[in-house]
Amino acid sequence: MTTFDHILLFKTDLSSRSAVDLIRPVLDSLEHIEQWNVDLWDEDFVLRVVSYKATHDEIITLLNRAGHACAELK
Amino acid sequence: MRKRDPEKEEAVKTKAIDMLVNDGFEGFSMNKLARACGISVATLYIYYRDKDDLILSIAAEKFREMSEAVLGDFDPEADFETGMRKQWENRYRFMTERPVITRLLEQFRSSSYQQRVIPDISRAFKEKMGAFVKSAVKRGEIGQMSIETFWCVAFAPLYALLRFHEEGRNMAGQPFTVNEAILWQTFTFVMKALKL
Repeated sequence: MTTFDHILLFKTDLSSRSAVDLIRPVLDSLEHIEQWNVDLWDEDFVLRVVSYKATHDEIITLLNRAGHACAELK
Repeated sequence: MRKRDPEKEEAVKTKAIDMLVNDGFEGFSMNKLARACGISVATLYIYYRDKDDLILSIAAEKFREMSEAVLGDFDPEADFETGMRKQWENRYRFMTERPVITRLLEQFRSSSYQQRVIPDISRAFKEKMGAFVKSAVKRGEIGQMSIETFWCVAFAPLYALLRFHEEGRNMAGQPFTVNEAILWQTFTFVMKALKL
């Protein structure tokens, strides 16, 4: 059976395209992240990361360091 | 550990369609949808990468179903009246049997999503209907006309009837339910107008 533990989800305050553009280099530079996107059209501005290696804590720390709120979406 | 549950996915789609039809695109949110389905927002984002992805994949699926229902057993080589009768029958059946999906597709047609969903799926439509009309013209069954003129005479009357039916009222506000007698009577006049 397929599982989805490699899809990491976060609630963020990345509410605009420019905010997303600012964190783009950070997330793009991580080779173990296969894909990521932010849902700018919904109220939780969900960051969706596809990675078999990344951890929630790692992404939260990255976003916090860049000055953004980020919490695991459960 | 999260797993994919096809039954739950179907239930999510059905609920999403209800919400889109009742509240429109503006009022729709992943949070509201999750709440209405009794699942977490995270589960929705497992299935779909974002709200747009959810809306577009539902739209694409329903357009495909509609296109299959309308074109499935339609033969573009048929003579004009036979082909048109089939088209009317298929469209009538789809719209009366699946009114919610019909309303949803209408909403997509008049939204900014149209450009992104319709191109793919409407290709089959354009090709089959285009070929059908072309051979009817070639055989001398109907005259040459713009595609808009053709649609306005060939299908707009059907859609007007179905709109009255959907609203439960005719143009004068009187109660109306479509039936096959009215459908085929209208069809007869459409054939009279189009056939040479």
